[in-house]
Amino acid sequence: MGKKLKSKMFFWLFLAPALLSFIIVVVIPFFMGIYYSLTDWTAIAGIKPNWVGINNYKNMFKDIAFQYSFIRTFVFTLLSVMTINFVALMLAFLVTREIKFKNFYRAGFFVPNLIGGLVLGYVWQFIFKSVIPQIGDVLGIDFLSNLLLLADPTLTLFGLIFAFTWQYAGYIMMIYIAALLNVPQELIEASEVDGANFFQKFWNITFPMIAQAFTITSFLTLVNSFKQFDIIIALTNGGPSDIYKEQIVNSTELLAVHIYNVAFKYNNMAEGQARAIIFFLVLSVVSMAQVYYNKKREVEM
Amino acid sequence: MKKIVSIVMVLVMIFALAGCSSAPAPADKSADTKTEDKVAPKEESVVIYQNKVEIGEQLSAFAAKYEAQTGVKVTVKTSGGDTPYAENLKAEFQSDRQPDIFVIEGKGGYNTWKSKLTPFSGDKWMDLTDLAFKADGKTYGFPVAVEAWGMAYNADLLAKAGIDPSTLTSQDAYKAAFKKLDGMKKELGIKSVVAMAAGPDMRWVTGLHNFNGYLSAGLPYGDTSVLDKMLKGQPDMERLKEYADWVELLFKYSDKAVLLTGNYDAQVGQFATGKAVFVHQGNWIDPWLMSNGVKFPMGFAPHASVYGEHNAIFIGAPSYYVINNESKNIQAAKDFLNYMATSEEGANYMVKEAKMVPAFKNITLKPDAPLSADVMKWLAKDNGAYTWLQNDMPDGFGMGTIAPIYEAFAKGDITKQEFIDQLADKIRALK
Repeated sequence: MGKKLKSKMFFWLFLAPALLSFIIVVVIPFFMGIYYSLTDWTAIAGIKPNWVGINNYKNMFKDIAFQYSFIRTFVFTLLSVMTINFVALMLAFLVTREIKFKNFYRAGFFVPNLIGGLVLGYVWQFIFKSVIPQIGDVLGIDFLSNLLLLADPTLTLFGLIFAFTWQYAGYIMMIYIAALLNVPQELIEASEVDGANFFQKFWNITFPMIAQAFTITSFLTLVNSFKQFDIIIALTNGGPSDIYKEQIVNSTELLAVHIYNVAFKYNNMAEGQARAIIFFLVLSVVSMAQVYYNKKREVEM
Repeated sequence: MKKIVSIVMVLVMIFALAGCSSAPAPADKSADTKTEDKVAPKEESVVIYQNKVEIGEQLSAFAAKYEAQTGVKVTVKTSGGDTPYAENLKAEFQSDRQPDIFVIEGKGGYNTWKSKLTPFSGDKWMDLTDLAFKADGKTYGFPVAVEAWGMAYNADLLAKAGIDPSTLTSQDAYKAAFKKLDGMKKELGIKSVVAMAAGPDMRWVTGLHNFNGYLSAGLPYGDTSVLDKMLKGQPDMERLKEYADWVELLFKYSDKAVLLTGNYDAQVGQFATGKAVFVHQGNWIDPWLMSNGVKFPMGFAPHASVYGEHNAIFIGAPSYYVINNESKNIQAAKDFLNYMATSEEGANYMVKEAKMVPAFKNITLKPDAPLSADVMKWLAKDNGAYTWLQNDMPDGFGMGTIAPIYEAFAKGDITKQEFIDQLADKIRALK
């Protein structure tokens, strides 16, 4: 047995446990899911699913609620990717300056990420419902005391983005901190000698140097916004209602929540599964496009 | 090569991140059932498999008393709370530990378990209740307990305003009373007349409980004609119109904040603190009221969901004991249920120990919670009950399909006519 062959064998031997569990818990269920999405599966043991072809997919695209949910998910994802990355980058800049208590701030900004989404949702629900009107009462601002933030579809979406940013920006900040600390100081100093101002330094040196971090953070925020579930359940429970194409729909029922509702509330497992497949495909295409695009801008040292 | 590796890595990451959330995994069947006894049932012993964790201990104690008196061993197994009863019951049936008595919850459960049930006949308890579960002309289910809802009112505030709750039997009477109360807000110290909620957290109040008025108000107990028509995709337009007036009335006299964004605590709290005269809830709020020290006298008035006189509230039994037709101890199981319904010990167990409202007319013990005590009064009346039909609607129809329409109506996004049309459309889509 050649040395190369032996090392190859060990390679696969050590990889096998991870690969096997990945295949068992992810790949096989995924293909089973594709099969189930083409049947009238009910998830009750003992009942054999019947083949219905692409009916579930047809229903899905006809469903106004699905169309609406799809659009809303994109809007939500776009906005929250922007706000989270912007806030995270600002925070990262702040805590990489020479300021007092910077480690305390770092920890503080990170802490919301440790709070579970459900708890966080309920906390913000309380703030939006009870604290803000109360502040309005105290300050005598009628607009605030009558503000039913969770009853207006647009405001609620912003509330959701706000809560999600609050939770997630601290985590993304950590990645930016690592990236910012890796920017070679010589380059910055050299540019200072050349007389570059703050924005020139940022745009021409810091920004390209942390492009790698951008790839990661955009990917993480994109995927996590797209899959957002727990904060929505706790904060808005899918509501408030909105009108789309003369139908009444749930304004914050984003795709993950929508799929859950179709599968479990309406007890329509197969149709939920079909929507989950589409969800997966869309998410794959969007995130691969994003990674491909961001990769091109990275500079190698 | 590097490119391929990075694409593969991205794919793997997406799989790992999306795969776990997108595929709804079938519920875990490795039952964490609290099996108290693994001994195979001996002759003349009954195994009861039930889903109310709250009463598990009380029921076991009652079963022990029964054994002491009759020598028949009754084993109580409980699953529920966080563990899914329906799934565990399936597992129980697949093993050889089939229970003699188990629980179904209305029509849905009946359709699942039809082939396993044996009907009751000639049992003493059957004459003592109107709430047994019947299907295809046979009685299959022994009602575990009673729950009910109406317009719960604060008797003190009504007395102050000079309104007799027994006159609240029609939409006109309510209209007049609401108007009067609304004009006396300052004197009564209330914020709104009705504590009503239609927001995203409270869709069961509108989509299930309020809508049930359309299905059964004003009809004799057990009349399912409106429901049957609905399931065939036929809305009763006249009835819907009358019903919309009732919804409009409730929305008009409720506090906007509670109506649109309130949760259970906000809604019940508004009533409990005397900031609202009525609350659209049922006797299940008793524990909440008692633990918050609410003392004022209260009771239920009927929902005037459609035109005409109303003298009944919605009373139903949410779950039923049924008998396994493959059981070897059918008679012993029936005896045990009869004993529960007819004996003094049984009454004591249901009312005093388990704190339930019993479904049987012979029981005179009174629950110590105010709304439950009032339910007993309505139950004892002739024709004091309208049927619960909201659980017989298709899955998700009440809370998922129609409840957002109520919310849109409450916000003023749609008019009353549009509200009626939207409901009718959704009903037509059911066929």
